[in-house]
Amino acid sequence: MSNKTINETPVRTSKSFNINNIKINEDIFSKENSDFNNVEIINNSSKVNIENNKTPINLKYGLGEELVNEVKNYANQNFKIVVDSKTSTETSMFFNFDNNNTSLIENIDITAKEDTTSTIIIKYEAIKDLECYHNGVIKLNAKKNSNVKIVILNLLSDISNNFITIDNNIEESVNVEYTIVDFGGQNTVTNYYSNVQGDFAENNLNTIYIGKEKQVIDLNYIAELYGKKSKVNIEVQGALKDKAKKNFKGTIDFKKGCKKAKGEENENCMLLSDTAKSIALPMLLCSEEDVEGAHSSSAGKVGDKELFYIMSRGFDIKEAQKLLVRANFNKILDNIKNKEIKCKVCKEIDLRLD
Amino acid sequence: MVKTQIQEIDTNIYDIKNADNYDFKMQKGITKEIVEEISKQKNDPEWMREFRLKALEVYNELEMPTWGPDLSELDMDEIATYVRPKTKLNTSWDEVPDDIKKTFDRLGIPEAERKSLAGVGAQYDSEVVYHSMKEDLIKQGVIYTDMETAIRDYPDLVKQYFMKCVPVNDHKFVALHGAVWSGGSFVYVPKNVKLDFPLQSYFRLNSPESGQFEHTLIIVEEGASLHFIEGCSAPKYNKVNLHAGCVELIVKDNAYLRYSTIENWSKNMMNLNTKKAMIGKNAQVDWVTGSFGSKISMLYPLSQLNGEGAKTEYTGISFAGEGQNLDTGFKAIHNAPNTSSVVNAKSISKNGGKCTYRSLIKISPKAKGSKSSVSCESLMLDDISISDTIPVNDIQTDEVEFSHEAKIGKISDKTIFYLMSRGISEEDAKAMIVRGFAYPISKELPVEYAVEMNNLINLELEGTIG
Repeated sequence: MSNKTINETPVRTSKSFNINNIKINEDIFSKENSDFNNVEIINNSSKVNIENNKTPINLKYGLGEELVNEVKNYANQNFKIVVDSKTSTETSMFFNFDNNNTSLIENIDITAKEDTTSTIIIKYEAIKDLECYHNGVIKLNAKKNSNVKIVILNLLSDISNNFITIDNNIEESVNVEYTIVDFGGQNTVTNYYSNVQGDFAENNLNTIYIGKEKQVIDLNYIAELYGKKSKVNIEVQGALKDKAKKNFKGTIDFKKGCKKAKGEENENCMLLSDTAKSIALPMLLCSEEDVEGAHSSSAGKVGDKELFYIMSRGFDIKEAQKLLVRANFNKILDNIKNKEIKCKVCKEIDLRLD
Repeated sequence: MVKTQIQEIDTNIYDIKNADNYDFKMQKGITKEIVEEISKQKNDPEWMREFRLKALEVYNELEMPTWGPDLSELDMDEIATYVRPKTKLNTSWDEVPDDIKKTFDRLGIPEAERKSLAGVGAQYDSEVVYHSMKEDLIKQGVIYTDMETAIRDYPDLVKQYFMKCVPVNDHKFVALHGAVWSGGSFVYVPKNVKLDFPLQSYFRLNSPESGQFEHTLIIVEEGASLHFIEGCSAPKYNKVNLHAGCVELIVKDNAYLRYSTIENWSKNMMNLNTKKAMIGKNAQVDWVTGSFGSKISMLYPLSQLNGEGAKTEYTGISFAGEGQNLDTGFKAIHNAPNTSSVVNAKSISKNGGKCTYRSLIKISPKAKGSKSSVSCESLMLDDISISDTIPVNDIQTDEVEFSHEAKIGKISDKTIFYLMSRGISEEDAKAMIVRGFAYPISKELPVEYAVEMNNLINLELEGTIG
């Protein structure tokens, strides 16, 4: 039994800081080549084509060779989504894990053509206490003037393993917004990369996470800005209880030539127990003078004053904590326009904080 | 818009080379025989000889850092690790050989000693050539001497603390330091003694293709207080020089230490220095650091807050010009309840220079009720320079208040416009902004050093912006 090193940061820092990568027991990866058939697709638009994906995977970063090769060689679900409509569309893909569908290795390739507006919701959900394995690659090509909203929901059980690689190519005047709800997984590891190459392009990434028991959450978000007047905004709000551990690695890299670009990242971790651990590495890399970059990071327990106020209104401490966590998450939850999905996420928040 | 041009720091007074006159210069390289010869030359006690050889073993075992600036230009086979100048340790400047004295005169050390210091140590290449302290401090039991004298005269004290704070296996260049260290200062401030004036050690490396490995060990006993200043410089040569010093600060309960540094090494210098403070209950260590020189710097002072209520503050600025890669920052490890750390770091990069702020704030499970606030700002003065911020925040308990913020960017057009609308010319406005950016750091320095730092930045602004 040996450990594999995955999810490397684009720039290393001292090994003793324990943040450059994460080590995962390699036994986790060696799943049998199994089928996954419980996929529900809701696509009301004839202008969104979903077909079998045969596009070769080509990633700049990714979680690591082993996991990416697994998707290349053993994907049991392949989708190519092409958005080809100037009217707004919403497409949902629900991957439902059950006793007959416990291992999903999927490859999703999305192309949003010029001037299109689309929302794509991807949900990974498991029945209670089911041990599942998920390793997926989502690649987005957002063409000129397109507007893409992607919502990713990880609602797997806490004894699952969840690995996601996201790779975006963002052209001129594109607006790409991701909302990621990251709740499930004994290990939940995400590698997110955006190549913001177009002038006036904008990429917003909003994440909420909850870690409990012995969950390990490893988020490695990388945005490279090449386009003039391009923008990146990374907002991460999370809560940790029990002995959960979170690593947040956020990199905004201003490349030479991205004049007047702006990049901001904000990470806030609410610690709900004295045994939870939060590590953050919010990096700003800058090779262009005429930019504005900022990051902030904070951690601590929920405020005593706020708790006291809510409890004075008759709530017990658990309910008061839930309310405060929800309050912090609300700004991000508001990005989910699908009411049914939003309601589901709110219920999950309550369940996971109980 | 006309570009802002801010010249490199004028290093004229630092660049004056003396002839490479030495009493003894070790052959280049790092081998067991060389380490044994250094030990012999320095007349080490047996325990130190054994310590050096053990450190060499660790050095050979450890890998080069896998992160940070590229150190491939450093070839230890081309570095002489020990150079003894042609003089003994003196207690009067009149006894110091003329060429060496002139060097320190130009650097303003004797003058500062007369005006505002309680004691001075001056190291030239591998050995301390001058050490002196005011009489009244000697009477109060303060010890301020070179490390070699300390080993001879206070062996138990040195043995108790030497490289305990910074163990040799910390990293490769600490191990190298342990094997070949020479020179440096030893300070002992007895219980409840408070020094009104600072002590200052100045380190000058003159010999080409050599290294300086001075060791500074400061012990501030309970309730005592000290301000210690160190300055460093070297003339520029074509080949790489190496500085791998080590600073160990033991600050006991209720004590206070301010450690101020202006590093202005020449631009062929690899500055791979290590500094660490162990801080007791309700004690405080403040670091004030200006990093201007060197080709490559890797320097991250560490405050280990071991006693309840211990505090630390780091105030630092880096200025990287052409060909410089200054990778600096700070580490704070909160190991006790109600400890606090405040970080205020700034950097300016220009003309292709690279500044990196790299840090670690670690709040351990024992450090309930602790607070940490980190702020870093980077100013880029042209589009060929690089500025990176790489902070790690490791929080292991819930009862904390932790915040970190960083900003990166160029001189604000709006601010320039505002100042110009008040009748200030564009070039004066830009110069004023750069001075203002550095001001929070320079105001924390002793006056002479603030003046030196302002000179390093301001003098060159005049006539070069436009």
